[in-house]
Parts: sequence; C-alpha cells; structure tokens
Amino acid sequence: MSQTHVGPDRESTTSTPRWVKVFGIIALVVVLLFVVLLLTRGPHRPGRHLPGGDARAGHTPPAGVPGHP
Amino acid sequence: MTMTPRLRKFALTAHVTTTVGWLGAVVVFLALAVVGLTSQDAQTVRGAYLVMEPAAWFVLVPLAIASLLTGIVQSLGTPWGLFRHYWVLFKLLITVFATIILLIYMETFSLMAGVAADPSADLDVVRNASPGLHAALALLLLLVATVLAVYKPRGMTAYGRRKQKEQRTVSPAVDAAT
Repeated sequence: MSQTHVGPDRESTTSTPRWVKVFGIIALVVVLLFVVLLLTRGPHRPGRHLPGGDARAGHTPPAGVPGHP
Repeated sequence: MTMTPRLRKFALTAHVTTTVGWLGAVVVFLALAVVGLTSQDAQTVRGAYLVMEPAAWFVLVPLAIASLLTGIVQSLGTPWGLFRHYWVLFKLLITVFATIILLIYMETFSLMAGVAADPSADLDVVRNASPGLHAALALLLLLVATVLAVYKPRGMTAYGRRKQKEQRTVSPAVDAAT
C-alpha cells in the first residue's frame, strides 16, 4: 500500500505544464463570458439563458411573498 | 506556518466533508430542477421552486463558504501553500468563482420562489430550466476541483519555484550549523 500523499515532492520543472495552459485558457474564456453576460444583460434573472430571454423575470410576485415586500 | 499532523488531519477532514457535501447538495438541486421541469403535479412543481431558496441559504451557501475557508486553512497550514502549485491555485479560483456565482444566483432563487408562490401564475411560467443549467455547471466545476485535489497534477508557479529555491539555499545552511 502506498504512503499517504501529505506534501509536495521537490519539483525540478521550470516550464509551465501543458495542462496549466489549457486550464488557463478555459478559465479565461469562462470568466470573460461571465463578465460580458453580466455587463450586457444586467443582474442575474431566471430564464436569461433560455430562448426568449428574461420573459419570466418580468413576472411580478404577489405581495406578502418572502423576500418580496 | 505548518500545522501539526493531528491538526492537519482535522483540517483535511473538515475540508473534504464540506466540499463533498457541497457537491452532494448540488446533485440534490439538479434533482429538484428535473422534478420542477418534468413533474405533472402542480403542487410538486411549485414546491420544488419554493424549497430551492431556503435550501440554498441553509445548505449550499454555508457549505460553499466552509469549503472555501477550510481549503484556505488547509493549504496555508501545509507545505502545499496557496499560490505555490497550479492545482491548488486553480482549485481556489474554481471555489471562489462558484461561490460568487452562487451568491449572485440567490436573487434568482428568490424570484423563482415568488413566481411559484403566486397561485395565479401559470405552471409553464413557474417551470424554469435555469436552476438545472446552473446546477449542472456547478457540478462540472466541483468535479474538476475534486479531480485536481485527488490527482494533484505537477506544476509550480513562479512564486512556488522561488520559495522552493529559497528553502534549498536555507536548508544546507541550517544543516551545517547543527
């Protein structure tokens, strides 16, 4: 049975691994997409990712509903 | 700032518990979203969207914050560090990103609960694919974070390499002095 891995091994590599580059690009695209969506479409609303956009967000909740004074 | 082995085990247990708990809670939300979209019973559909908001406040948010905090404690208290290894850094970014999205999405849970509580609202208006989409994406993110934590792929940041170099130059000096 192998020993439990509790700490890092000494690493001699000086270059950035390929998986880091791939992850970095994906992370950058996701964050950019998030920022663009936030800036262009305003606050998060249900249905914003669906065809028809924010139609459901226009629904006015009834008085007395928790969180909707 | 390295923790004792006993404290390290405790911190690791807390981190794994909260993170896996968060992942499990997201799976439950995915199931609720499917129920909300597919159930033929009006009360069940409305109930699914009504329960999401309190369940998120009482389960998702505390687990997300606990996972983030225990992860920071765990990394700072071990030789892994917070910014030394790419996998730790990516895991931190994933957790921070997922927590921010969750906190922003709490408003959406509230809006959907409002619609579901309105008896005059048509069932087609109550049904919403948004929670399912978000739960699926959250599940994907948390699974990536879990894979990173288990496999710990190699790769040190520039900061990590510098720190390692410093330790290598300090260690022989300490050995020579003793």
